Amino acid sequence: MLKKIMSTGALAAALALSAPSLAHHSFAMFDQTKVVNLRGTISAYRWVNPHVSLFVDVQDGPIKHGVWAVELTSPGNLTRLGWSRQSLKVGDKVDVEVNPLRDGALGGGFRKATILSTGQVLQARLVEIEKPGG
Amino acid sequence: MIRASLFALAMTLAAPALADDPITPAPTAKDWLELAHRPDWSGSWFPVISDQFAQVASNPPPWKPEVQKQIDHWDAEEKAGRPRGLLLDCLPHGVPSFYLITHNSIEILSTPGRVTILGESDGNRLVRIWTDGRKPPADPDPSFHGYNIGVWQGDTLAVSTTAILPQTWLAVSEAVGIAIGEGAHVEQKFHLIGPDTLAVDLTISAPAVLTRPWQTRRLFTRKRARSYEIVEGVCRQGDFEETTDPWGNPAWRPVAQSADGNVVAPAK
Repeated sequence: MLKKIMSTGALAAALALSAPSLAHHSFAMFDQTKVVNLRGTISAYRWVNPHVSLFVDVQDGPIKHGVWAVELTSPGNLTRLGWSRQSLKVGDKVDVEVNPLRDGALGGGFRKATILSTGQVLQARLVEIEKPGG
Repeated sequence: MIRASLFALAMTLAAPALADDPITPAPTAKDWLELAHRPDWSGSWFPVISDQFAQVASNPPPWKPEVQKQIDHWDAEEKAGRPRGLLLDCLPHGVPSFYLITHNSIEILSTPGRVTILGESDGNRLVRIWTDGRKPPADPDPSFHGYNIGVWQGDTLAVSTTAILPQTWLAVSEAVGIAIGEGAHVEQKFHLIGPDTLAVDLTISAPAVLTRPWQTRRLFTRKRARSYEIVEGVCRQGDFEETTDPWGNPAWRPVAQSADGNVVAPAK
């Protein structure tokens, strides 16, 4: 059993080491000319560098149903915009505006989120924080 | 015990002595006091990202014709939604792209003999600028951020950067750029142009890819709110998610990602 555990661990480590690093990327794969509104439930909220992400489970509306992956800027920059790792929770009902992926996959670049239970609106526009002051 | 001591002594005697390894003297009280007369660059400096794009639009790099074709190709690819991920591998932006395209804050530390720039993304970069009067080594190891010599000219810090790895990006965006090539030399002048606005005036000589040195400016705005203090920015953290190993210890496992570097939601 221990041998099996060890080999599983070694395999996982090998996969981790061989996995291509695909982290920091341009947002040009998102179509800035289109806006899609996702009404659904947060199923994951990842507060990690270099891009915070959230998964939105969409089961209603005229768009493709399924789990959408939405990407944002870094935790540091979101902190400056008033976010925290507690801003969203799994199970929150939300409206999320995104620029959709151009290839039609279920994903998008974040524009705005509204938490339906409170009406709180979350934005992530970096231009808001590049002005002097603060 | 005696054998261990003899072994340690033998290792000490066997260690090669560097013929020319100057000693950096301990700073004196005068050295520390001199810092008080330097301009105040405390706080965090956030890049003016919208101006980065404006600068490139109004004053693009003077690419060589054959390089311009490559740039046009990658520019078209980005506009078509197929961005070339210059930073996907999580290697450093390097100099000069650290100043040209960063989207995260920097912090500037002054101590005797050196100015140190800390970056937030990707991977909390460090640029060390020597201000102790030294000359660059005769044959420095090339690096992403190069060998940086700084000279104070009044309230301006003039920096000369050489020994930049030729693979380092000369980038105009996170998706468009070219390897800077052999023989690059980057001059930077750091100076305040307002109480909370820092200008970095760059003169980028890259004979492999540019027809002439490219002069361009990047702006950073000062922030003193605690939310702007630079935080840990581990570039590859997003490649993994939390799990537990077979023994129940906290651990990481790779997440699913697309070729573009996007996280992929699980299929239901």
